[in-house]
Amino acid sequence: MPRPDRKGPLAGIRVIELTKVWAGPYAGKLLAHLGAEVIKIESRSNLDEMRAYGGVDIDAAPYFLSINQEILSVQVNMKTAEGLDLVKRMIAQSDIVIDNIRPGAMARSGLDYESLRAIKPDLIQCAIKMWGTDGPLGYQTGYAPCFAALSGLTALVGHEGETPRGMNIRYGDSTAGALAALACLAALHHRESTGEGQFIDLSAVEAMTSLVGDSLFAASVTGDVPRADGNVHPEMAPHGFYPCGESGWTSIAAANEAEWQALCGTLGAPALAADPRFETLADRLSNRAELDAELSALTRPHDTADLAERLRNAGVPAFKAMSSMDLCADAFLWGRDAFRMVSDHRNGSRPIIGPSWRISPEGPQVERGAPLLGEHNGYVYRELLGLSEGEMDDLIARKVID
Amino acid sequence: MTTRGALEGLTVIETAERVSGEYTGKLLADLGAEVVKVERPGGAPSRAMGPFAAGESTLFAYLNTNKKSVVLDLADGADRKVLDRLLARAHALIDDHDEGWCRAMGLTPERVSRAHPALVHALVTPFGQDAPESWQGARPINVIAAGGWAYHSPSETPADKPPLKGAGRFLSDYEAGIDAALAAMASLLRLRREGRGQFIDISEVDVQLNRIDCVLGRMLAGEAEPSDARTAYDMGGPGTSFACRDGHVFLLMTSRAHWQGLCALMGNPAWTRELREDWLEFDCTPPNVARFREHFTGWIAGQDKHPVTEAAQKAGVPMVPVQTANDLPHHEQFIHRGFFQQAVHPAFGEVSYPTAAYRMSATPVAVKAAAPRLGADQEDVLDAAS
Repeated sequence: MPRPDRKGPLAGIRVIELTKVWAGPYAGKLLAHLGAEVIKIESRSNLDEMRAYGGVDIDAAPYFLSINQEILSVQVNMKTAEGLDLVKRMIAQSDIVIDNIRPGAMARSGLDYESLRAIKPDLIQCAIKMWGTDGPLGYQTGYAPCFAALSGLTALVGHEGETPRGMNIRYGDSTAGALAALACLAALHHRESTGEGQFIDLSAVEAMTSLVGDSLFAASVTGDVPRADGNVHPEMAPHGFYPCGESGWTSIAAANEAEWQALCGTLGAPALAADPRFETLADRLSNRAELDAELSALTRPHDTADLAERLRNAGVPAFKAMSSMDLCADAFLWGRDAFRMVSDHRNGSRPIIGPSWRISPEGPQVERGAPLLGEHNGYVYRELLGLSEGEMDDLIARKVID
Repeated sequence: MTTRGALEGLTVIETAERVSGEYTGKLLADLGAEVVKVERPGGAPSRAMGPFAAGESTLFAYLNTNKKSVVLDLADGADRKVLDRLLARAHALIDDHDEGWCRAMGLTPERVSRAHPALVHALVTPFGQDAPESWQGARPINVIAAGGWAYHSPSETPADKPPLKGAGRFLSDYEAGIDAALAAMASLLRLRREGRGQFIDISEVDVQLNRIDCVLGRMLAGEAEPSDARTAYDMGGPGTSFACRDGHVFLLMTSRAHWQGLCALMGNPAWTRELREDWLEFDCTPPNVARFREHFTGWIAGQDKHPVTEAAQKAGVPMVPVQTANDLPHHEQFIHRGFFQQAVHPAFGEVSYPTAAYRMSATPVAVKAAAPRLGADQEDVLDAAS
C-alpha cells in the first residue's frame, strides 16, 4: 500500500515519473498535490536538468525545489539491466507511468506500453512529447516557445500591427503537464469502470493549440483568420491596459452602458461620457483607438492599485497588472494559501506556489518540499520491493542504486 | 475501435455561465461524461457571444460539444426543485458564479453539500471563495492581469507598451477549466470508491500563478530578485519572433551547434564573424543579441516560413513557423494525429473541431454530438429525474 500519510482524493494512487525539466514534473506535481503517491526515478548519472540549474547543490536547486513538492525520489541507474528490472518492478506496483524523455527512449529501455502491459495489465502510461510519440514529426524535440509558435497560439499574441511575439517565453510547459495529469485521471476512471488501462500520447504543441480552440473553430466556420490583436475585444470597449504613472498599468473591461458610465464617473470625466464618438457600445467599438488614447490620458495621473480598486467599487471590472514584486508581496494571495510554506531540508521551510484548488472536507496535504536525490530509496526498495538491507547495500555498492 | 468515453457512466450538471465553467464541462463531456447544461430561459449567455454564422454563436458551438441542454429558471421555486432532483442523481456539479448568485439560488457550497453529500461540487471563480465581492466580477483580462502573465508578456516588452491579455478572449478561462476538470475528476474517483462528495474551490488567478511555479517560486524563496521589471520572467538570449516574407518564424538558439547550423543555413555571411563561435553560451550580451537580430532580421525577411524552417530543422536549428489558423489544418503532424475532427454541424455545415492534445488508446476523445439546441433534452432529462 502507498504510504499512509497522504490525504486527498487521489490517496491510494501510485505514479511513477520518468520526467525532466518542467512539463513532465509539473504533471507529477499536480497529481501529488491531489494526494497521489508520486515516485520520481532519478540517477546521479542522468539527472533532471532542473537539479543543475541555478546552483551547484543538486539537492538545493531553486528550479527543482520550486516544482517537485510532495514528490518521492528513488535512485535507479537505468543504464544497467538490473536497474531497468527494478524500475519494472516498481511499475508493476503502480497505477500510472508518466514520461517526458526523448522520443523513442522509453522503447529503447524496454519501457514501451506493450512491454509494460505484460508486467501490469491495467497500467496507464502517459508520454508527453513535443509532437506526440509518432507521425512524420514525432522524432522532433523542442522547447515551450517553439510549441507555442507551432500551435497557433503565438500568432494570436502581440501588440496590434506588430510581429506577434507571443506569451512570455516561459509559457507552455506547465499547461502541457496539466493536460497530461488530466488525461491520466480520465484513464483512471475508465480503468475503474472496465478494468482496462491505456496509453496516452500527449502532444505539447496540441496542448497549446487547445487553448485557442474557439478561435480556430470560428475560423473554420467563418473563414476569417484571426491574428494578434493586442488587447482588443470584439464585444467590449474599453477593454485593455491603461497606464498609471511611470510603469503601472490597470486592466479595464467595460461591457455595457452602466460600466461605461461608472468608469467616466470614477475618472471624473463627464466630457468623455457626453462625447458623441463614445455614446453607445457600438460607437466605442468603432472608435476604439481614440477611446484608448483619451482614457490613457485620464488614467495616467492615478496610482494603479488605487484606481483599480475605485473602479471595482464602482462596478467596473479592473485589476492592476501585477509585477513579480507585487505578486510576492500580495497579502490576499498569502492569506488564501496561494503561496504557502513547505518543509525544506536546508532552511527548514520554503515558500512555494500552492495548488489552484482548495478541496474540503479531507483535502490533500501539500506540506513536504522537493526530495533530496534518493531520499525515498529506503521506502521504495525496502517496503515497496521488499529487498533486504543487504541487497540494497549491494545495489548501492555496484552503483545500480546511484 | 471502441466508442466508449473514459468518463462514461458519470453524470455532471453544469450551471456554469462563464467560459471557465463551460470549458470545464466541455473537457468532461468530450471525455465521455453525460454533461447536462442548465440554461436560463432564453439560453446561456455564450449563445449571444460571437463570432456568429448562420445566426448562431460559433463560441457556443465550440464550448458545448457533447452536452445536453435543459432550460430551468433557477429563481423559480419549482424549477429549482427540478435542479435538486437532477443533482440527486448526478455525480458532479460544475458552477462558476459569484457568491451573491450562489446565495440567491441556494447553491452555496454549504447548501449543496448538506442537500447532496454524495456530490462533487466544483466552483470556479476569478479569485476563489471568500474574495471581496467587488473582485468577483473580474473578466479574463483582469484575471490574467492579477496572475502576472499579462505584465510579463510578451518577453522583452518595453515599459511604454501595454501588457497583453494573451491569446483570444478566454485564455485564463481555459487554463482554469483544466484545473477544475482535473480536481473534479480526482474527487469523482474518491466518490466512486468511498461514496462521499467534496467541495472544490478553484481560483482562476491561482491557476495563473501555478503555471509559473518555477520562475515565481524562486522569487518567493528569495533565490531570484522579484522586481517591477517587465522582463522579470524572461530568459535572455536572441529567441523571439521575426517577420519573414509570408508570415513569421520563431527562432530559439542557445548553443554553439545552433549557431553553426544557422550560419551554414544563411550561407555564412561575413557579419556572422563579428560574433564568437560560442557567443550564445559565453558572450550572449544585450549588444550581441541586438547585433545578431539586426543582421538576421534582414536575411529572414526574404525567406518563406515553411521552407526556411524545414531547412533549419534539418540543420539542427530550433526555428519554427509561427503557424496561423490557415496553416494548422494542413499541417502533416496535426493530420497524422487527427487533432481536427471534421463533422457536420446542423447550422454551419461542414466544420473542423479542434479536439484534445491527448490521444487515448482505449477511449479516444471525439465530438459525437454538436452543441445542443436550447432545451433539446428537456423531456428526456427531466423524465429520468422525476
